[in-house]
Amino acid sequence: MSTRTLPRLLQAPAVLLLLVWMLVPLSMTLYFSFIRYVLNSLRRPEWTSPSFSNWRGFGNYNYVLDAKDFWFAVQNSVFIVGGILFFTVILGLSIAVLINKTFPGRGIVRVLLISPFFVMPAVSGVLWINMMLDPVLGLNGIAVEGINNIINDLKALPVLGSFFSLWPDLTPLSFRATQTSAYAVIIMVTWQWTPFAVLIFMTSLQSEDQQQKEAAVLDGATAWAQFRYMTLPHLARPIAIVVMIQSIFHLSLYAEIEIVSRGNGNKNLPYLIGEFANNNIGAASATGIFAVILANIIAIFLLRMVGKNLVE
Amino acid sequence: MSIVTEKTNFGKFYRPILAWIVALLFFFPIFWMIFTSFKTDADAVKPEHLIFFKPTLDNYLNMTENYDYWRFAVNSIITSTFATALALSVGIPAAYSMAFNPSRRTKDVLVWMLSTKMLPAAAVLYPMTFLTKNFLNIFDTHFLVIIVLCLINLPIVIWMLFTYFKEIPKEIIEAGKMDGVSTWGEIKDILIPLAWGGVASTALLCFIFCWNEAYWTVRLTTIDAATLSKLIEGNRAPEGLFFGRLSAVSTAAVGPIIILGWFCQKQLVQGLTFGAVK
Repeated sequence: MSTRTLPRLLQAPAVLLLLVWMLVPLSMTLYFSFIRYVLNSLRRPEWTSPSFSNWRGFGNYNYVLDAKDFWFAVQNSVFIVGGILFFTVILGLSIAVLINKTFPGRGIVRVLLISPFFVMPAVSGVLWINMMLDPVLGLNGIAVEGINNIINDLKALPVLGSFFSLWPDLTPLSFRATQTSAYAVIIMVTWQWTPFAVLIFMTSLQSEDQQQKEAAVLDGATAWAQFRYMTLPHLARPIAIVVMIQSIFHLSLYAEIEIVSRGNGNKNLPYLIGEFANNNIGAASATGIFAVILANIIAIFLLRMVGKNLVE
Repeated sequence: MSIVTEKTNFGKFYRPILAWIVALLFFFPIFWMIFTSFKTDADAVKPEHLIFFKPTLDNYLNMTENYDYWRFAVNSIITSTFATALALSVGIPAAYSMAFNPSRRTKDVLVWMLSTKMLPAAAVLYPMTFLTKNFLNIFDTHFLVIIVLCLINLPIVIWMLFTYFKEIPKEIIEAGKMDGVSTWGEIKDILIPLAWGGVASTALLCFIFCWNEAYWTVRLTTIDAATLSKLIEGNRAPEGLFFGRLSAVSTAAVGPIIILGWFCQKQLVQGLTFGAVK
């Protein structure tokens, strides 16, 4: 055996494990997506177990594309991911720039800021939907009630009261409703992932060319001009990476959606797959393949960037 | 310090204040959860006890009775620990091999490994259930959870170890070879002691990700191997009845991990961006 054979073979277990992990379930999904396969069918018992004789071709794909839920789930996935990206990038950039300089207690500020990222999604969901956002018992409800009480007190004032009497009673927004449960998910995930964006932008800001900045200051560049023409271009790459990594992670959001509303009026693709998988495995698998394609479109760009970095 | 730092009033005075406000706002929900965990369930929903109340430890003392907390916690500890150990024992040799004996394909292999991480879990949910339930008969076992947690984190583990190992001069490893040290000896006696910090923070980060995982651990378990994610998710909709006790069990589930997380902030960037941001 040459001296290099053994060292090279050491990567084989990892490669094999990942190969099996990726190929076996994925090829099964692919197979199931082309056959009729339902778990409960009294009428057609032969469909309840997978078999090539139940071949359906692209039937499952057509079925899924025609399902109203599918397009809703795609739209909602994009809406949720888009919302999260918008807020995490804007907040992440502002906070990173804010704490990029030394000030008293910066270490503690960093520790406090990063903490939400380590909260498990299940806890984040339960905490937000109950204790923060609940329209009656959560802080949301309590705050609105407090404001209403103040307004009512003002209405009782002798002279000004007639002015305040025009103010309506506020009703707290319920985040469990059909239209609003997506907002709840956006809020809680933004809370969890803004720290991630902050960390990455900060890491990147530290490698910014300070001499160039000093030169710009001497030339009288305003803070905004420095940010717009030097910092922002410098951050283009980290922003792209934050966007791509988050898209991949958030396209498969599940726990938060389940906790907020059990997908009621707020499905995304993984949730729809879970629902189909209760009975119609063919449709679930076809939806799964669509999800893989969607994730791959983003992943290709990300992997290219990461790969390029490897050469440097 | 350079002239760029702090010469305006904003920098000197408002920046710290604003930064502290933002930090406290972000930490507030966690603080509120800890705060509520010391209230009784009745006090937790009474506006008059919003801030002032008689603190109690009952919620923590009754955690076992209310939620069977320790059974889930022990499952989380077992699965996360073993999954991390397994990921390291597969990942260290692999990363060693790629860092010190690279071939032309090493880069492609690394990128391919990452791509497995990007496969949406939901897409393979049913095959996984089918295989583990009907075929391998390992559904809802620690073994299954350990394997799955190991596999989903393996790409990140290998990637992080690879970047740490690459910083070690090849000559040191080669010198060991000259002295007739075996490959195993190179890893155990030279590489791991040298890259100890990197290995430790990789392990820590892997452990955190295992602990917080909430898709497979929920979908591939029922009772026996159910982790804390499953416990919390199963008690998701108390409608205000149990805010106190739910806060206590949530605090117990995330507290240790948040503290562990503080120790690996720096590595987090590398681990999550696969070294693409430096």
